[in-house]
This record gives sequence, structure tokens and C-alpha cells, in this order.
Amino acid sequence: MNANSPLNRRHFLRSSAALIALPALESLGFRRFAAAAQTKAPPKRFIFLNFGWGVTQETWFPELNQPGVDYTLPLGLAPLERHKADFTVIQGLANKFSMDGHSGSTFWLTGANRYAEPGQNFHNSISADQVAAEQLGRETRFTSIQLNGGQGIEADGHGPGLSLAWDLRGKPIGGHNSPLETFHRLFSNDKTSPEKQKALLAQKRSLLDTVMESSADLHRGLCKTDKAKLDEYFQGVREIETRLSKEEQWINVPMAKTPLVEPKPELAGKEEIQLMYDLMVAAIQTDSTRVLSYRLPTASFLKSLDIPVIAHEMSHYSPGPKMEASQTRDAAHCNLLAGLLDRLKATKETDGSRLFDHSTVVFGSNLRVAHTLENCPTLIAGGGAGIRLGHNLVLPKGTPLCNAWLTILQGSGIQVERHGDSTGVIKSLQA
Amino acid sequence: MEGQSKESKPFNHQAALLPVSKSGRRNFRFTTLTMLLAACVLATGESEAATDAKANLDARHRALLQKNCEGCHGAEKQKGKFRLDDLSFSLSDNSTADRWQKILNVLNAGEMPPEEKKPIPAAQKTEFLDELSNTLVAARRSLSDQRGVITMRRLNRREYANTLRTLLGADIHVSELPGDTMAPGPEVVFDTVGSNLFMSSNQIEQYLSLAKDALEDAFERHASRSIEKKLHVEAEESLAGIQKEIASQFDGYKQFHRWSKAVAEAAAKPENQPIAAEFAKKKADDAFLRKNWEKISGAPSPEEFGFERKRELLNSGAVAAERAEVFDKNSRFHPYYNAYLAMPKLDTGSYFTAPVFLGAPNSIIFALKSRYYISIPQNWPAGDYVVRFRVAATENATPEDRFLEVGIGRSFQTAEWMATSTHHVDGTMESPQVFEVPVSIRKTSDANDRTFFIRQKGAYYRHEPSTAKQRNQEKFDAALKRNGFGLEFPLWLDWMEVERKVPSEREIPPGIKALNDIFFDEKSAPPTEEILRDALGRFAKEAFRGTPVRPAYIDRLVGMYRGYRAEGKLHGAALKETLAIVLSSPPFLYLAEPVSDGIRRPLTQQELATRLSYFLWGTAPDASLQNLAEQGALSKPEVLLVETDRLLNDERSLGFLRPFFQQWLVLDRLDFFKFSRKLFPDFDDGTELAARKEIFETLSHLLRTNASLSDLLKSDYVVVNNVLAEYYGIPGVKGDHFQKVPLPSDSPRGGLIGMAAILAMGGNGEHTSPVERGAWVLRKLLNDPPPPAPPNIPQLNRLAEKVLTPRERVLAHQEEPQCASCHRKIDPVGFGLENFDAVGQWRTEDHYQAMSTTGKPIPKAFKTWSINPAGALHKGPAFRDFFELRDILASRSNSFARGFSSALIQYALGRPCGFSDEPLLDAMVEQASGKTFAVREFIYALVSSKEFHSK
Repeated sequence: MNANSPLNRRHFLRSSAALIALPALESLGFRRFAAAAQTKAPPKRFIFLNFGWGVTQETWFPELNQPGVDYTLPLGLAPLERHKADFTVIQGLANKFSMDGHSGSTFWLTGANRYAEPGQNFHNSISADQVAAEQLGRETRFTSIQLNGGQGIEADGHGPGLSLAWDLRGKPIGGHNSPLETFHRLFSNDKTSPEKQKALLAQKRSLLDTVMESSADLHRGLCKTDKAKLDEYFQGVREIETRLSKEEQWINVPMAKTPLVEPKPELAGKEEIQLMYDLMVAAIQTDSTRVLSYRLPTASFLKSLDIPVIAHEMSHYSPGPKMEASQTRDAAHCNLLAGLLDRLKATKETDGSRLFDHSTVVFGSNLRVAHTLENCPTLIAGGGAGIRLGHNLVLPKGTPLCNAWLTILQGSGIQVERHGDSTGVIKSLQA
Repeated sequence: MEGQSKESKPFNHQAALLPVSKSGRRNFRFTTLTMLLAACVLATGESEAATDAKANLDARHRALLQKNCEGCHGAEKQKGKFRLDDLSFSLSDNSTADRWQKILNVLNAGEMPPEEKKPIPAAQKTEFLDELSNTLVAARRSLSDQRGVITMRRLNRREYANTLRTLLGADIHVSELPGDTMAPGPEVVFDTVGSNLFMSSNQIEQYLSLAKDALEDAFERHASRSIEKKLHVEAEESLAGIQKEIASQFDGYKQFHRWSKAVAEAAAKPENQPIAAEFAKKKADDAFLRKNWEKISGAPSPEEFGFERKRELLNSGAVAAERAEVFDKNSRFHPYYNAYLAMPKLDTGSYFTAPVFLGAPNSIIFALKSRYYISIPQNWPAGDYVVRFRVAATENATPEDRFLEVGIGRSFQTAEWMATSTHHVDGTMESPQVFEVPVSIRKTSDANDRTFFIRQKGAYYRHEPSTAKQRNQEKFDAALKRNGFGLEFPLWLDWMEVERKVPSEREIPPGIKALNDIFFDEKSAPPTEEILRDALGRFAKEAFRGTPVRPAYIDRLVGMYRGYRAEGKLHGAALKETLAIVLSSPPFLYLAEPVSDGIRRPLTQQELATRLSYFLWGTAPDASLQNLAEQGALSKPEVLLVETDRLLNDERSLGFLRPFFQQWLVLDRLDFFKFSRKLFPDFDDGTELAARKEIFETLSHLLRTNASLSDLLKSDYVVVNNVLAEYYGIPGVKGDHFQKVPLPSDSPRGGLIGMAAILAMGGNGEHTSPVERGAWVLRKLLNDPPPPAPPNIPQLNRLAEKVLTPRERVLAHQEEPQCASCHRKIDPVGFGLENFDAVGQWRTEDHYQAMSTTGKPIPKAFKTWSINPAGALHKGPAFRDFFELRDILASRSNSFARGFSSALIQYALGRPCGFSDEPLLDAMVEQASGKTFAVREFIYALVSSKEFHSK
């Protein structure tokens, strides 16, 4: 029996339907009236931000000899002064398998060994955000949201990938490229009636059956590696089906309303980041999703700051204009991040607590500077994962980045024993 | 073009073809059987895959490890749980490679040996690092060798667009699809390599939406295929507006002075004594008084003098008088207006004037035109158009004035304007000249995409409008001094027009033809189910390139159509939705060559046609190829070579040439930075465009005339247009088209490393980078790529404030073994190219300004030096100058040919070129070298090889 026949796929979906829980009523438009009956604690959220080409190492990291809370905030983090008690900078983290001096984000959340698969020159594994999404995404309209402002290697220092997210099979997950696209995905309201929407969904399902039907013979005739390629397509179809099932469950729940207005198209650099951050807060606030990641732009960011330096060259700075550019970039990033933290603090949950208290914001890169892949810049803020905040946490050199991911995942109640090349949680990071 | 390809015979039988079934797709079952039989033959021939000796580290390095490392990491002690006395010198598995990688990393990072231990002598360490890093590259390559197995792949982004153009005649934007290349770092992984081409749910949805765009575009083109459109604009039509604007400005100028005087007089009156005293504290001038006229009793309002209080065009809140004030400040331009109005032939045309007013607010008040636009109306159908304009050069035009730039877009954001072509104006006022520029309009093209501009070359810099403005201003001021009015008017425009080209009937694309008895519009009656079913079947067969169409699939498509109709969609819309499904189905999206596990088989004829076509055209095979495949004739060596030539002679071979060379030579780098127009004013937008084009035009020339690949190392000719000829200082080149021009024997041009764009890539738009250039030459020309830049190497910041020439800097580099191991190979080559500046112009001097830690220039820390290009290849011959270096490179045709062949294999077969491909590489290079490296010979050898014919 063909595993890809509609019948079997539907069966698969039915069996996994348990994973797609009904929308939580305390979310969205029902928030206000549901608030009275609310007893459940606000859900946990994750935001992963990666800035490709690293930082200015001389001025971004706190002094190693000032571990703990009494450290001087370095120049590069200065704009975060008002949040100093609410984030921790972790030093000494690295992905031991990372060798690509131009890949700031490819293996950042995965810790994978690029060469793990014999006969292939590229391999990756699931990213930490997707591990979180697997669990946190069940109750929201969108399992996770990926934003992608970076265009890859030379311009932005991110390396291979379509966003920060990699799926269970280590394949890249696509992201939304602009604030406008993101806005529409999150908040565009479908005006059609639920009955009509159901009919449309049924037609979309038939569409998926049709494309599968086209290649039923083909699939049978392929060798293993080719089957695996075609399976990527089939997996894509399955994901759309899962999404459709989710949409069906949510048909009677109107799309979240947002105070944001539709963004202008073609925003770039600083403005784009600003708006993406706004959209992230709005997405969390409306509980449209609980896991977000953003591959930050670098080249367009520099351009918007009137820095006439090539992004890649900036990461190979020496004292002079390139180093200044790098420092200006650091400060501008921290300014934007400070704004994001402000909004997470200002926005309240139904129980009156702050979004910030239930969120974990990770800000970092697999690249420190130039081609340096050790002591990866890592800043974690937020009360969601029960970590110790306000610290300059100096760990032994070469501590797996994945230990940090494991710590925040477990700290947020995600059922996970290990991640990537993790060797255990970081005890000193736990509050 | 002239039948050169005929010389390609005789066919080399060394790479003879395997017997392949003659049956085409009509006899699918039979084919499969013969395939299996042939597959066994192939499989046995393939079993002895080449293993790579380069992935073994020489045993002589054991002593270094024993002496320096094994004291702590040996049999007795294993500090850090790392032991290396038992480590194999043959890097034949990933875990061994990973352990060696770790050793390389700690040595590179300077972490080992630890500080308290004796360091490894620099020379030894350099040698060891050199060999270890190269061995690791070889090991990674060997371990990831797919041993000839080609992973099935989807169409990449450009092939997808090309295929829709072939099938439907549609032209769409595919930039919303994710990019295809996944490879990090300098190693090239082509966008044809299947294992790196992924699929995601987002992408499936994007395919559906793009297919709809394509169908809309195609249907519109088809429906309007006989519609002619033409718009003609006479340039003098703008004259009335210009005259009116100038008159009103001159009037405004006078009125402004009157008003200004009246305000000042009012302020001087006794009753305004107190307020005047207050103003005086603020150093009030006339402008201040005007701004505060309301506080001055008796001062007249600007309205009384004919000024509106506000003008939308100016900054909000500005009094319109400010407009006059700007005008006043620029009064030195007034003679320019008068000079313009005195020019002849204003009744039949219009002049290009100096763009000195670029940028608000000056540009707003400028009455004359420095650029002209013509737009294709939004309601005109998609299709091929031509933009035409008639221009003349006046007797005032200097040689450099005579170039025009044409491009797309209209916006106040000058950064968005990009020239797409340049044109030299030979026409005179007596006998003007007509230019034609072909353009394509999509259904989705917006107003900006439908607008075309003409401007003088060099008048605008896309990335540096302010530099252009300053430069124009200086030129204007110099002219003002000279003639009392400003820049002369060198170019005159008679008219502009756009016209729609009507395609001939035979050009109906196959996908549209397949639907022939169905209407696409909403006016006609929907087809019967039978007609619809047949049409969908034909369409799917055409789209699927030989993958059989299942009847059940057609049933479902018909069901989908019905479903869309039931949703309330009209026939045309429902049809488009249904066809979009076909164009998003795997048999369309994937280049499938079904095969059972562990078996290698020859391709079917249809598969061969598809592989050949995607290799040389980047799109689906045309009817001739498909017919030959159906007749079972395509795999016949002589037929295949005739077809190969036919494909290469067709202009669609640009679908091979551009993407192949773009990726192989890593030309993307040109897009990663901008060139400083301040430092290099002559390298303007039009010149940059020409420099980029030179690369492809030269390659296109090579492919067309089947010239020698070695010409890319050194040649006695260049392929340039008039713009680039002027830039290179080659006299006597006429015409906007690229043409072969002979070079004097002492010219540094001729060959890739003499090209401005290639040289410019080895820099950052301001300074040259000998390292980038040297590494590029090693990778591309010498086929001896340095290992990827290692991670975690400490930077040499201590040199930042020193005043050093690049050469001195490099010597400092070479103190460090981890730098020296690669840079001793890279840098000498880079220095040999230092006679070219960052935009590829010849120079004999360079300078350096040291910067302080705060980024300020350090006084007196400035140095100028004569360039000394002399050097020697690492363990190779010495050269005294660029010319000798070029001769050395030119003598390495074999290496270059090998690198080229390796890239071709990867590109054509869609898999990395592994060590198991060494015999194929040998055969290709040998065959080509017998024909003085004629460029098509490589392609003949490849398409005739067993590998090209096997799955």
C-alpha cells in the first residue's frame, strides 16, 4: 500500500490530530471575557535573534574577570543599561563541530556536524526553536513563525539556510522575508464565511491529493536517495495538510486583531528590524504563536545606518573605519533589542504579569568576529525559562552552545533530554 | 557563428557511448528492460571507484607529532582526553578526519603547544599546517564523494523561470522563491546540484502562486498576440511647460525682491523699533525678517506678491517665497536658462541639460530636463516591446559627452535607477540617429517597471548621488567661468517611442498549443468535459517532459476544475488554478530519472534530451530534441554532436553561459560592494555596466567561435564596446555592441585578469585586495585552491597603526606559521596584479594612510610608494612584472582546463565532481588539448561520456 495515498495520509493526520489541540480560548479576541475564568498560567514563549557577522569583540563582551552581577556594561551593550538586571551574557559557548567561518546561523541552534553524513557534503539537524515549537505550537494558530531578513553568506554572514529554523530531518525551513508578508500571515482577516472557508479547505486538500497522485508511479520507481528527495516534497505537502487541519480547527476563531497598521512594502535595515520586533510582540500578545525566530539582516542594516562598509569586511575589522562601523552596528542592534525588551515588559498578560516574565529572548550568533567560532556572543533575556538574569556568566571555554539551548528549553517545560551535542544543562545559568 | 562548429569532428571514440536502447518513451516497458541489462554492464565497470591518495598525510610528519605533542597526548598521558599516537595518517573516515580537524584548529588558534612548552619551529609548523589543511580538504571531498551517483533534483530558480518561458512564453519574477545555493565559503556548489536543492511547504505554495502569475502572463500574451501598440512622444512637447516655468520663475525672482524690500522697509519704520531691537539680538538678516514678517507691523504678506503660502512640493510649512529664495540663491544659473532658450531646434526637439540640481529642493525648481522618460501604459498587454529614440550630438559635444544611458524606473530615489544599456551618439543635428532598446513587459510589471529613462552617461551615480551632484556642479562652474552661462548642451532629443512587437504565429509556445481548443477568457462558453480532459492531458504531457501522466491524475485535475467552478470561479480562472496544479506537481518540478537501488543504467532518449537541454539551455528540450529522442536517434554520437552544436549556436545557450560562469568565477562578488565614485569618477554606472558585460561577451565570443579556453588566460584581443574601449584607452572602437578588437602586444588587457570587472572583484571598491586576487587566481586559473579560511585565527591588529606597504604587511603575516602556510602561495600572485587599481585601471603608484584606533588619519603616517609587482609563485618560477606573471599563468593551460572541466562536470551532472571522476577529467582535458583547448571540445567530450549518459 502506498504510504502516500490520501487515505494513509489522512490516517496519519487523524492519529496526529491529538497534537493539534483546540484553540485556547483565553487567547485572541476571547481574552477579555475569558479572563475571569482564567486560572492557567500564561504560556511560555521563545524569541531567537541571530545577527550573522558577529560583534566587535573588544567592546561587546563584559570583562572575563568581572563574572557575576557586578560587572561593567561594555560599550557594545551600553544601550541595554536599563535592562541590565534582566539579561545574562554567557561567555565560553561554542558549537564544537562548526568549521565554517562564514556561517553565523546555519548550525547556531542545531549544533550539528556538517560532515556527519558520509557521501554528502552537508548535513544539519533540528534547531532548538523547532524543538520548542513542537510542544508550544500545538495550541496556537501558527506552530512557529520564522522571519528572514538575511540573504545568506556574503551580505549577512548567516551561511546556508532559509531562516534560523531547521526541521526534524535537518532540512531548512523557509521564513517570511518582509514585515508586510509577516503582517499578512499573522493578521490578515479572511472575510469569507466559515462554510465557504471549509469548502475552500476541502478544495485545497483535493489539490494536495492531486499533486501526490501525479507522482505515485514516479515515487515507486526511484532509488533510495531520489525517494528521499521526493519525500521532501511529500513532507511539504504533509505540512500544508497539518496547517490546513489547524486552519480548520481555527475557522470559527477570527484572526487576531492587532493595533499595528499594515507595514509599507520594501522597508529595509533598521526600519525592517524595528517593525519585525513590533510584529513579534504583536504575535505573542495575540498568542498567534509562541515561538519566533529572526535571521537579522546585516548588509541592509548597515546601509540604513549610513555605514558604507561591506558587511563581510566589517567583520574583519581592524582599528579604523571598519571597527567603528562594527561598533556602530553593535550599538544600533542593542538599541533595537532594548526597545523590544521594553515592549515585552510593557505588554501585560491576562493575569497582569508582563509578557517579558514568560518569554525567553536569545540574541546571538555562531560567529564572534571574522572567522572565529568560539565564545559565541550569547545574550539571554526574559523570565520564561527560569534562568539567572543580570549576570556576566563566564563558563569554561568550549561549553556546548547546545547546553544553553537545553537549559532554556527544559526551563520552559519542554520535554527534552538532550539537544544537538549537549552534554547537560548549565546549572549556573539556572536561577 | 559561421559554421565553425563543423570543425568539431571527428568525434573522439575514447569516450564512446554505451549501447542505449533506441526506443523512445513510446516503448517505456521495453526500454526499462534493456536498461536493466545495460545497467549490469555499467555497474561492474563502476565498482572500482577511485580512492584518493591526497587524503593521506605523509608519514614524515609523525616525527613532528612525536616530538611536540605526544608527550601529553600519547600512549601514557592523554591530556584533554586527546590521544594522537594511534591516529591514522590515512583520513579515510569521518571520525579520523574530525580528530585531525581538531589538531588543525588548535594549531591554527595557537592554543597548542601550550605556552609553557617549547613552540614548534616556525618553518616546520608552516609545512605541517600547509599539508594538513590541504589533506583535510581532500579528505572531506573524498568522504563526501557521491561516487557518480546523481541525486534527483528539482528545477532551480532560474530553470523554473526558463521552463515556464519555454512552455508558456511567460515571463515572471521568481525572486520570491528561496535562493538555491547552500554552500558556504569559497568552494563552488552549482545551483544544479540536487543534494543541495531542497523543498519546503512554503515553496510548494510559492510554486502554486507563481504558476498562476505565469499563466496569467501567458494567457494575456496569447490573447493579445496580434495587438499592435505604439506611443510616440515628440520632445518639443515639453517646451511650452519649460517656457512657462522659466517665465514664472523669473517673475517670481523679481516679485521676491520686491517683497523682500517691502518687508525690510517696514521693519525699518519707527513703529517697529521695539521688535527690530529684539530681532537685532538674533542677528536678523533679510531672510529672518521675511520669516517673521507677520510680527512686523505694516509688512506685506507674501500673497500680495503672488506667492502662495504653502506649496506641496516644498517642505511642509515652508512659505512659497522660499522657493523664490532658493531661486535667488541660484541666480548664477539664470544665464543658463537664457542660453537654453536661445538654442536652435527647440521647436522640433529638446536638449539634455546639466543635472546640477539633483536633489531637493533645487531639483524641484529646475525648469530644464536632464533626463527624459517614456512609459508603457498600464493597460497595454504583456509582451515584447521596443523603446526607440532619435538623438543627435551638437557641435558642443566632447567625446565623453556623447554617451547616453537607458534604464528602467522613475523615482526620486536615484539609487533605484540602474542603467541597462549605454549608447554612443554619432548622429548629428543634420542627421540624427535612432536607437532601439528591446524590453519585456510582464503582466505584473508596475508603473515603475514600465517606465524607461534616457540620460547622459556619468550624470548620475546609482550608489552615490551626492558625489555625482558635486562632480556635476564642478563641471558646471568650470563651464560658467569659460562661457558665462554653464555647461554647453551636448545632446539633443528629437522624439521617443515605445512599440509592441507582434510575435509570429509559429512562436506559439507548446503549453499554449496543447490547450488549443480551449478558450482562456470568460466570454466564451466553457469547454465540454471531454475537451477539457484531453487538453489537460496534453498540457500535463508537455509539462512533464516524458514522465508518464497517470489517467487518475487527469481525473483529479478535472475534479479540481469542477471544484473551482463550484466555488463560483469563472472558466478562465478555474482553468488557471487547475493548470497551476500541473505546474506545481513533482513531475514538472523534478528532473526525474527513475532507477532502482544500487543499479546504474543508461538514460532513456527522453532523459538524455532533457539532460542535454537543461545543461546547454537551462530549460526544457524543444520539439526537435524531443523528436530525435522519440525516434531513438539522439544518443547516436554524430546526432548528439550536431544537436550539441545546434543548442550552443542558439541564443538560449545564454541559459548555460551566464549561470555557469557567474557561479564558477564567483562573479556575485561584484554585487557585494559599491565602487567609490569619489575615488574613481570615470568608473561610472555605464562603465561599470560595460565592465560586467565584458566578461559574458568575451565568454560568448569564445563559445560562438569555438576559440581556445586559453584565451581567458592571455589573448591578443579583447571583446569590448565603445564605452569600455575608451576606459581601456583603446582608440578607434565604434558602436555600442561588443566586438573583437585586436590589442597591441604591450597591452595589459586580454584574458580574464586583464578585465576591469575581474580585477575590481579583487578589491572592495576603494582598495585592492592582493589576497582576494591571489586566492581567486589560485582557485580559478591555476586550479590550486587554497584551503578555506580557517576559523579562530587571531587577527594581526598590532599592525593597524603602522605605516606599511602591503608587501611589508605580508612579510609580517608570514612570521606566523598559521598565516604563512597559505599566504605564501596567495600573496605573491596578488602583488603581481597590484599595477591594477580597485577599478582595474593601470597604475604605477599606491599610497597608504594609517588610521588611529579612533579611526582618524594619523598625521604624517602617510606613505606613497612605487608598485613593485615582482615575485615568484610558491615553489615556482619568478616574475618581474605583471606581464611575466601573465605569461606564467598562460603556460598553465592544462591546470586551467582541468578546473574548467571539473566545474563543467558538476554543473552538467548536478553532483560534485569527485575523485572518482578523475578518468573523465583526464579524458576531457586530453580531448580538448588535442584541439588547442577549443572551448566546445570540453562540452563534446562531456556530453559523449558514459557519465553524461548514465543515471
